[in-house]
Amino acid sequence: TALSPASSLPRSFLLKCLEQVRKIQADGAELQERLCATHKLCHPQELVLLGHSLGLPQASLSSCSSQALQLTGCLSQLHGGLVLYRGLLQALAGISPELAPTLDILQLDVTDLATNIWLQMEDLRSAPASQPTPGTAPTFASAFQRRAGGVLVVSKLQSFLELAYRVLRYLAEP
Amino acid sequence: ECGYISLPAPIVRLGDPITASCIINQNCTKLGPESQIRWKLETELQPGGRQQHLPNGTLQSTITFPHFNHSRALLSCCLHWGNGLQILDQAELQAGYPPTTPHNLSCLLNLTTNSLMCQWEPGPNTHLSTHFTLKSFKSRGSCQTQEDSIPDCVPEDGQKHCSIPRKHLQLYQNMSIWVQAKNALGTSTSSKLCLVPMDVVKLEPPTLWALEPSPEVAPAQPGCLRLHWETWKPSLHIEQKCELRHQPQRGESSWNLVGALPSRSLQYELCGLLPSTAYTLQMRCTRWPLPGHWSDWSPRLELTTAQR
Repeated sequence: TALSPASSLPRSFLLKCLEQVRKIQADGAELQERLCATHKLCHPQELVLLGHSLGLPQASLSSCSSQALQLTGCLSQLHGGLVLYRGLLQALAGISPELAPTLDILQLDVTDLATNIWLQMEDLRSAPASQPTPGTAPTFASAFQRRAGGVLVVSKLQSFLELAYRVLRYLAEP
Repeated sequence: ECGYISLPAPIVRLGDPITASCIINQNCTKLGPESQIRWKLETELQPGGRQQHLPNGTLQSTITFPHFNHSRALLSCCLHWGNGLQILDQAELQAGYPPTTPHNLSCLLNLTTNSLMCQWEPGPNTHLSTHFTLKSFKSRGSCQTQEDSIPDCVPEDGQKHCSIPRKHLQLYQNMSIWVQAKNALGTSTSSKLCLVPMDVVKLEPPTLWALEPSPEVAPAQPGCLRLHWETWKPSLHIEQKCELRHQPQRGESSWNLVGALPSRSLQYELCGLLPSTAYTLQMRCTRWPLPGHWSDWSPRLELTTAQR
């Protein structure tokens, strides 16, 4: 299998990951558009205070920074972040009937990418003995909190994916 | 109940023998010492039938059809009574073939329905009710070992295709897929496919437009056409390559192919054509460099090149 010079990762693995990230970004954008159109929740910055009270965790990609790229650590953080966001997306279940199909596809695509990365970590013998657990999910006290939580979760996920895309593209450079 | 038919095997292979017995209870008031059991197949009286009085007072007749070649027939057990026949019981006899191996199994990932649609050839008619089931499991490597099972996909009656929904799929992992055919006479299984759903994605065609002259777009040169195109929206996240084919509308010339075009172009000039000539153009795309199927050709676009 052709390897990318920037890393010991198969090029097809990286191309698939890039494709999956683009799909998840598109899924996320659609969910954001629908939250804005249906519930007038269009700007995460209007929900910062609520975000603090909900205590939404953030995923770190420190091992993926261009200055100190540590490949196995980076893959592990990518996987861990995806597991975290999958858990947060699952907590949004019941957000609203109109959004449910889009949320389902987003969750499935995030799960697929997490699985793809985990299997690659196993192939590299860098996977820990057991998969990380998503951690405690936030509780949403009302339908509004769940929708607002949706805006915040997807916004954080998009930022995470932006970083992930950059590092995957760097790793895939011919 | 006066009498009833007993059938060891109501369904046999076409041409095989089939045997039936009719038993009339001793407390059947119609029963007399001279009673005669008669058999009818559909509406035809059947010769034969070995009749015997059993020690417990019942009357039994057994009939065998040595080479039963009806796919479906109604067998009636009758009793002579008065100057007519009384039908005491009926049974449906069936004959056919065990299912042959389903073949030509192929699958496509449909991004519109987000499902994996598989189709197959069922093989010759078995004359029996035959049920097909699409079976699959997720796997790693080359599908030697099963990781996670996937629920059976049961097609609507008579259909030769089934769609596995997105929630049962991992789009970027191997899965093993096969078809099982089952009827009363046996079961058969197709050969197995080992595929990654995304690698059998089939895209819808791109949309191809003419680029009309405007302040930003100069008119095309003689013998040239200005075009732009865009891939199918649900596939925007997929890296693709496209190809364009064109031919003059008049005459019998074959298609000319322009290959390896990018999946998106805001402005493209196609030259080397005959001036002031009407052309038909079509485009198709495929996932690339990762594997995928070519889309169908786009609807025809008809344009005429500029005069010299």
